Amino acid sequence: MAEERRFRSASGVPIALRRRQHSASCRELAVRGPRLQLRSLSAATSAVWLAAYGLFAVSENSMVLSAAIFITLIGLIIYLHFVKIDQESLLVIGSLGIQVTSSYASGKESTTFIEMGQVKDVVINEAIHMQKVIYYLCILLRDPEDPQRVSEVVPLFQSSKPRLDCLIEVYKSCQEILEQRKTAPQSS
Amino acid sequence: ENSPAPLPERAIYGFALFLGSWFGFILYLIWAYIPETWLFSLGLTYWPQKYWAVALPVYLLVAVGIGYILLFGINMMSTAPLNSIHTITDNFAKKQQQKKFQEEAIPALRDIPISEVNRMFFLPEK
Repeated sequence: MAEERRFRSASGVPIALRRRQHSASCRELAVRGPRLQLRSLSAATSAVWLAAYGLFAVSENSMVLSAAIFITLIGLIIYLHFVKIDQESLLVIGSLGIQVTSSYASGKESTTFIEMGQVKDVVINEAIHMQKVIYYLCILLRDPEDPQRVSEVVPLFQSSKPRLDCLIEVYKSCQEILEQRKTAPQSS
Repeated sequence: ENSPAPLPERAIYGFALFLGSWFGFILYLIWAYIPETWLFSLGLTYWPQKYWAVALPVYLLVAVGIGYILLFGINMMSTAPLNSIHTITDNFAKKQQQKKFQEEAIPALRDIPISEVNRMFFLPEK
């Protein structure tokens, strides 16, 4: 079963959270940001080309124009492949682990898997980020030597940055699955 | 003994500083404005170049302006990144002692772990 709800990101951009329950101990939560808008793409392209035309009018060198076309094309490809993240998803499997996937606009997907033995907890933390205080969801990793200590913090949903209401939904879903490991029989 | 009240000694220090700063200012104006030949005729030859009478105030003002930007940048650099353990805990919280819970007494002050705080805030009470 899948449901989708609309929320806002920390900067006011509309995002959508999709929750799917695959089984009693497996859930997938995906946050999707807005697609690349045609008007912002054309605005950026026109700005670069106008600037290049102005330079050409001043310097009478036609290489400026071809350089501007190259820069626009290569910049767009780099942006779509390395910068623009369309969807970030979290797949929580109760006895196995947590998988974090980021899908870029060019179709590239980058995945990280954290096994359940390393996961201490999934919490909502607040921190200072660029002159703002934001809430963000993070996975606390356990220290192998000392189970009570937190060794590492893995922040999630870094590019879509959902607000607190969306984060509470994701937090509740994750906690329902994480609580099952306490009642399940312990295995070394 | 360390009160900020006005005392006779402090009044004397203040007046001495006041006279000293006025003297320094008049000296700076003389050095900057009076032509070198007049100063040489008075016998004062070993003074710094007049270039510095303009350069030093400019250096000072530019340093003050850069200082604003530098302070802002240093603050941003020392803010812990989002994946740092310092946003969750620190050395003092790790080594804190757990006092035993006593009935009808105010609980001792301690750093509550973030998992507990989250459960209290975001999971509804059953």
